[in-house]
Amino acid sequence: MRLKRYRAAGMAQAMAQVRAELGADALILATQRLGNGVEVTAALEPDEAPLTPLVSADPKLVAALDFHGVPALLRGELQRGDLATTLAGAFGFAALPLEERPLLIAGPPGTGKTLTVARLATRLVMSGIKPLVITADGKRAGATEQLAAFTKLLGISLVVACHPVTVGRALTRREPDTPVLIDCPGCDAYDPAQVEELSALASTANAAIVLVLAAGLDPAEAVDVARIYASAGARLLIATKLDLARRLGSILAAAGTGLALAEAGIGPGAADGLLPITPAWLAARLLSGVS
Amino acid sequence: MTHGQTIAIASGKGGVGKTWFAITLAHALTRLGRRAMLFDADLGLANVDIQLGLTPRLDLATVISGKATLADATLHCADGGFDIVAGRSGSGLLSAIDPATLERTLAALQIAAARYDVVLLDLGAGLERAVRRMSAWANRLLVLATEEPTSLTDAYAVLKLYAADRPDGKARIVVNQASTRTAGERTFATLERACQTFLGRAPALAGIIRRDERVGDAIRRQTLLLSRHPNAPAAVDIEAIARSL
Ligand SMILES: Nc1ncnc2c1ncn2[C@@H]1O[C@H](COP(=O)(O)OP(=O)(O)OP(=O)(O)O)[C@@H](O)[C@H]1O
Ligand SMILES: [Mg+2]
Repeated sequence: MRLKRYRAAGMAQAMAQVRAELGADALILATQRLGNGVEVTAALEPDEAPLTPLVSADPKLVAALDFHGVPALLRGELQRGDLATTLAGAFGFAALPLEERPLLIAGPPGTGKTLTVARLATRLVMSGIKPLVITADGKRAGATEQLAAFTKLLGISLVVACHPVTVGRALTRREPDTPVLIDCPGCDAYDPAQVEELSALASTANAAIVLVLAAGLDPAEAVDVARIYASAGARLLIATKLDLARRLGSILAAAGTGLALAEAGIGPGAADGLLPITPAWLAARLLSGVS
Repeated sequence: MTHGQTIAIASGKGGVGKTWFAITLAHALTRLGRRAMLFDADLGLANVDIQLGLTPRLDLATVISGKATLADATLHCADGGFDIVAGRSGSGLLSAIDPATLERTLAALQIAAARYDVVLLDLGAGLERAVRRMSAWANRLLVLATEEPTSLTDAYAVLKLYAADRPDGKARIVVNQASTRTAGERTFATLERACQTFLGRAPALAGIIRRDERVGDAIRRQTLLLSRHPNAPAAVDIEAIARSL
């Protein structure tokens, strides 16, 4: 802030001085009679980028955020205090709405969508619920077989659909209240036609799009992909391959676009490889294993 | 006031009366029956001990270097009845303190604070990182300003940083060296208006302290104002602030 006092015989002259020197944006902070004249205090605040908050500088936390490559924009927020608390404030955390809507497990090729579907199905079966599993990935060689091996083991049926209409038909035929998991073909976020196809499938199935993203991606890339999926309607994020990559900056960056963190793939096991993400778990994970 | 409160005293501009105010406020709080500690957090030019005429054997520099604990370096000011931790006078050695060491020191101070009702931090002038950090660290912030444009501008700068670091924080203003109460109120109103317009939030007024030659007299004699001139206008004004905390 630039502050200056002006003295003149009358108010009009003082104001003219203010305008001449500080311009029309000057703010009049005070005016005062002074002897047989006036004194005007005026100020101008130059436009600047907003101040970044000072880090609380817990060195361990700073080192951890460095290690994970957490984008600068998120850091200020996360360095403010206890990490579990700041994570809970900065990101959404949500359970998968399995009881409400079919889930469309989507994401770029190779992120672990099929394995995620298998794991979610396993979890449901182990808790006594038989889900309907649909693969919309009927075109890719081997994709169906991989999932079929799981559903067979679990004793549940698998619907192979190559077209949204087939998916719609399977959905109308299912028993009421059956959770539905739909395995999607890999969708290149940068190909508008593929993204359009995904949106269309989601609306046909009245499904929630869940983005499956593997850890270890470049954070800026992860943000771009997450934004595109979010604009296609995704609201939830499953982070996979946390056992294969140590840095989680990309996952936080993706969640920072507004996707709520739901699950994390942390190991190879079908039954125990997927965990619901909580702020406390994520904080512990971020702080441990920093080298 | 709750137990273990930490209150930082900042001003941005130097020489507006922070150290004198911090000492006298510690004294006033003590006289109100509160257990007070004054921490000389001026890492550049500490002088709480000088104003009080004390010769500390240990100071903050020995604590920071790990040669003494904060408890070891805590000194009792017998005249005032409160405790102090002296800084390192005139060396400027601590102004380059690194963030990790500063955090460790603050953590120790937080623990020590539990033994007091209130801990006052006399911050150095300027807006260096350590000053900014300690302003944001304390439970409360008091910003001293005088009517001089330079002081108002610097007080505003302190408040602006505080708004970024502590969106939840509520800073309060102490107008010092006011020629009259009305003039002091005008000074506060000026700063309040600048903050409300430019920062979207305004600080509250903690109090106005009138300019009083007995302040200089007490400092020159290295004595406490409230002991030497208990009825001086500045003494009365500080006691009112102490009661309002
Ligand atoms: N209310 C007052 N009336 C008259 N003089 C005052 C008043 N308050 C402070 N002073 C004078 O201001 C001078 C500076 O005081 P002090 O050393 O406490 O300032 P400071 O803000 O701590 O300075 P620094 O920024 O160097 O640490 C003192 O010499 C004192 O006499
Ligand atoms: Mg001082």
